[in-house]
Amino acid sequence: MNVKVLFFGATADTVGKREVEMSFDEETAASAALSQIFEKFPELQKNHGRKSLHFAVNQKYADDDEIINDGDELAVFTAVSGG
Amino acid sequence: MKTNDGQKNHFFEITGEPLDVGEIARRVVLPECGATVTLDGYVRKFTKGRETDYLVYEAYEPMALSEMEKLIDAALEKFEIANIGIVHRVGRLEIGETSVVIAVSSPHRRAAFEACEWLIKELKRTVPIWKKEVYADGETWIEGDSAAFN
Repeated sequence: MNVKVLFFGATADTVGKREVEMSFDEETAASAALSQIFEKFPELQKNHGRKSLHFAVNQKYADDDEIINDGDELAVFTAVSGG
Repeated sequence: MKTNDGQKNHFFEITGEPLDVGEIARRVVLPECGATVTLDGYVRKFTKGRETDYLVYEAYEPMALSEMEKLIDAALEKFEIANIGIVHRVGRLEIGETSVVIAVSSPHRRAAFEACEWLIKELKRTVPIWKKEVYADGETWIEGDSAAFN
């Protein structure tokens, strides 16, 4: 299945892209997807570390075990700093 | 004088244009209210002793708007307030330029003060917007309190 992976701010600078299409197995959890994103972009883990990254599935904050579906939008970003 | 004709009119927006604080504050005024508390958040020159040239704000816009809407719903449950407006600017902002405006109207001022403080605190914790500080000799994306969701 195909998922749109989005990066913002610091993660976009690290990866050098704002958006990539990635293919995951069916029933992939957000945390497993993130591991595969780390494999594709090792600098993401190196620069930020798993603990400082948050993710959202279809524009909602997601837990590690949230299952991702075909066509979903997965955003990976550092702690927000608006205001 | 501009009011919004007595209608409940919550609003939440993200814009690349300069913010007019007075105009945003007037949009929440209602006949049954007696006070509006408005936060005008703007770009600070010195942070922890380091001098900033300018800031760049970036938003995950659809999610940022939906998180703002959630904050408005939660604040209306929590406080005795009438109208809420939240507007955040993105793009390049110079020192002293307004980055965020939160305006809260209520029949009595105390609830509006409390709600406004709560809203900015939550916005900084949950709404997916990031700021980059640009200095004479480099730049850094600022990270918020990452403990918030872990």
